[in-house]
Amino acid sequence: MTLPLTQQPRQRILALVTDAFGSHGGIARYNRDLIAALAGAEHAADIVVLPRIGDSAGSQIGERVTQLAARRGRLAYARAAWQASRRHGPFDVVFCGHLYMVPLAAVIARRLGVPLWLQVHGIEAWAAPGRLVRWAADRASLVTSVSRATRARMLSWSGLDDWRIKVLPNTFDAAFSAVAREPHRKKAVGRLDLTGRDVILTVARLSAGERYKGHDRVIAALPRVIARCPAATYVIVGDGDDRSRLEALAGEAGVADRVCFAGQVGVDELSDFYRAADVFVMPSTGEGFGIVYLEAAAAGLPVIAGNCDGSVDALADGVLGTLVDPLDTAAIGDAIIDALEVRKPRVDVGRFATAHFARHAAGLARSLGQAA
Amino acid sequence: MCGIAGIFAYHYAANPVDAGELQRTRDHMAARGPDGAGLWIGEDRRIGLAHRRLSIIDLSAGGAQPMFSADGRLAVTFNGEIYNYPALRADLERAGRTFLTQSDTEVLLHLYDLHGPDMVRRLRGMFAFAIFDQRANQLFLARDPYGIKPLYYADNGWTFRFASQVKALIAGGAISGEPDAAGQVGFYVFGSVPEPFTTHRAVSALEAGHTLIVDRLGMRAQVRYHSIAAAYEAAEAAPRLAAHEAEEKSRAALLDSVRHHLLADVPVGAFLSSGVDSGSLVGLMRDAGQNDIETVTLSFREFEGDHHDEAPLAAEVARHYGTRHTTRRVSEAEFTADLPAILTAMDQPTIDGINTWFVAKAARELGLKVAISGLGGDELFGGYPSFSFVPQAVRRLQWPSRVPFLGRGLRHVAQLTPIARRLPNPKMAGLVELGGTYAGAYLLRRGLFLPGELKAVLPDDIVAEGLRRLAPVAHIEGQLMPQPRQPFARVATLEASLYMRNQLLRDADWAGMAHSLEIRVPLVDSVLLDAMAPITASGPPLQHGKALLAMAPRRPVPQAVRARAKTGFVTPVGRWLEGANLMSRRRFTDVAALSRPDTPWARRWAFSVASASA
Repeated sequence: MTLPLTQQPRQRILALVTDAFGSHGGIARYNRDLIAALAGAEHAADIVVLPRIGDSAGSQIGERVTQLAARRGRLAYARAAWQASRRHGPFDVVFCGHLYMVPLAAVIARRLGVPLWLQVHGIEAWAAPGRLVRWAADRASLVTSVSRATRARMLSWSGLDDWRIKVLPNTFDAAFSAVAREPHRKKAVGRLDLTGRDVILTVARLSAGERYKGHDRVIAALPRVIARCPAATYVIVGDGDDRSRLEALAGEAGVADRVCFAGQVGVDELSDFYRAADVFVMPSTGEGFGIVYLEAAAAGLPVIAGNCDGSVDALADGVLGTLVDPLDTAAIGDAIIDALEVRKPRVDVGRFATAHFARHAAGLARSLGQAA
Repeated sequence: MCGIAGIFAYHYAANPVDAGELQRTRDHMAARGPDGAGLWIGEDRRIGLAHRRLSIIDLSAGGAQPMFSADGRLAVTFNGEIYNYPALRADLERAGRTFLTQSDTEVLLHLYDLHGPDMVRRLRGMFAFAIFDQRANQLFLARDPYGIKPLYYADNGWTFRFASQVKALIAGGAISGEPDAAGQVGFYVFGSVPEPFTTHRAVSALEAGHTLIVDRLGMRAQVRYHSIAAAYEAAEAAPRLAAHEAEEKSRAALLDSVRHHLLADVPVGAFLSSGVDSGSLVGLMRDAGQNDIETVTLSFREFEGDHHDEAPLAAEVARHYGTRHTTRRVSEAEFTADLPAILTAMDQPTIDGINTWFVAKAARELGLKVAISGLGGDELFGGYPSFSFVPQAVRRLQWPSRVPFLGRGLRHVAQLTPIARRLPNPKMAGLVELGGTYAGAYLLRRGLFLPGELKAVLPDDIVAEGLRRLAPVAHIEGQLMPQPRQPFARVATLEASLYMRNQLLRDADWAGMAHSLEIRVPLVDSVLLDAMAPITASGPPLQHGKALLAMAPRRPVPQAVRARAKTGFVTPVGRWLEGANLMSRRRFTDVAALSRPDTPWARRWAFSVASASA
């Protein structure tokens, strides 16, 4: 028999995470969103957060959230987690924010006799992990995955029943209204010196370890695009250790003058780039989800992404943008040409709003309470 | 009877239901329901239910589906028959419920409204259905205790889809066609794909005797409400009956089941073989008051005059019970002509079902929409050789099989040396390794290929991945929970939960439905099982088991039928296969392990079927 919500004891969650408050990056942001959602729910939970990195001093943490001091070292972290499970308890749920931490989280959840909730993000959960991680992951009562693709990949190696692995997409609230795009567009184009250009935009780190983003395949598609759209220019926002390779590639392809490396930019300048661009493209093969597509779409840009990873979720099976085979440069080129030549109706990315995410996350947390 | 389908876009991020996709899935099952079609999409386009109808009870438009509760809150799409619906309806009416139609479908809506998911325990019949509660935003699915009616689902984390057939789900166009190694391995090991696995990674069976709830958070855990193992285990505690009591009780229970299975607004015919099972059912149909009975038997020219020919004895049974009888002859030419259609209709690969295809075809030619089949008699009354083989093997081999490495060593010796060619059956190589447990011995008895032989027909990585996910011996053991103590009960549980469920019943479904014929199986009934299990569980002498069935009709089955040694239902498919065009890219002659002249034909047939469906 399920008690009415108001009579249920408040859930207490121990969250073991890589980082959350006082840290940057996609995973920290996801953890913050999730923790805020659980702490802010109608029947809120109390959450004790133990991060590996990140100083929470000065960051806004709700009244139900306590973030303990970060412990970087593995052993120190394990000891701190163990102590937290005793000193700050009792807990009803152990939340584990990264697959690599799941052995520790599984042991603690088992000792406390409470359900384990595991979060998976992207490529870390695609290939079968080692035996220990697999054993620990199989102990989870609930796994949340940011996309259907990651869920499917995890199901291929995990011994968990299909119903235990749910999808909880990254969340996104449009920072500014796309309606305001046109008045700002001219100014942005002028500021960025892109007057008269058809601007193709990618926003991503240029990391030699993350070549799956697909910059090189867009560069390879450029000659085909330029043949049809002579004003096309490829603007790459982001920096990293792969930049020189990409610059060389652009030279080899004979399009060096059409590729502009803008480097890393601040939030305001990024808005300018979104306003000045005509199409956003990132034919990635390794996205866990891909919030950047939603940012671009919310800014009013047509979006092109790969069809084999979490991008499919961000683009909602093609409703919010165009999905192409990310390894097919001809298809990438044709999609860019199409976007430049045919004006696309603006899409609504409101389905990924934080309110929806928060309600879903709170429901999942509650389902754990009922299962236990 | 019918075909059902649905799409539930439960997740907030999911796109709305695509009516075109749902219609493609529904209409892939046109043969399941030629008499009508319905499709409903909820106002917010998060739910869609679809139905193809073969009308058997309440032929009017009143029985059309999806059907709604009077207040519009509940919607149902239903495949099957609820045999106790008159009694349920009378109860509900006494409780103040008003009915708008004469159909059994409406009973489901009232029962769900009153009892929620527990309503499923009140149903007697074969069924797979889905009820959507628009107020709770919740989908409820259920499948009958034995799994007579199929129900498959695919959940990608945003959207839940279901249908009566795997191929129909795929035809919708939104589900990945990636094959499942566990399904491929399972097919070669068992001769049919063991549920919950299917040929496709994205598609699973809702298991027999289970219910499932899907809400805005997705699937919940499946809930088991019936288990054959549990029925036997509970029955073992019952006191043993005297012989005459046992006869009286089983007679009453059998007649009761047949009577329930005759419920229809169209004529109900029967398949007749030369065996006790179908003969007894025809006799009981008479006892239940049906005077006009249409029966049909298959015969093959190849068997004319030899003991495999069922026609003469079946004709004698027909005369005995005064039925209108047809003997339908099937030739090699007809087999060859029908084969492409058979392989298309075969929803999941199977090494059987050909006989059902033709007998269903024959029944349909006679104008029948419903036919009674003796399927299940061997499981209920211990008619298979496994009932003696498995317990014997376990008794003799439980000690040798525990000697470390002995079994595996002997298998390697037997497989890798010239001994292999002398074995009457290649499976014998696994005797000591597997024979010491019920699960292992059952695999030896029923298995088509043993796990160690799979590399002859499948790539190494598929074998490894498939065996890891399926774990055949553990899969068999899993059916024995809780474990009955008596050998008979254990074997009966395994046969009913594996061979009958995954092969016989599934074949009866696709082969019958391909001809828009509903096959009813009075010997596969949970109420009958509860009555029979206390009588058979403690192991009556085996000959006696079938005698209970043969003597159940007021006029017992003819002596000639009772005296006939069991041959199993044999078709000359093995012979016909040689010349058949299987449309497959690979033929068994391309595979060394299947080319040897002494290869069992079922192995070649399995390979051909798998290659054709790949």
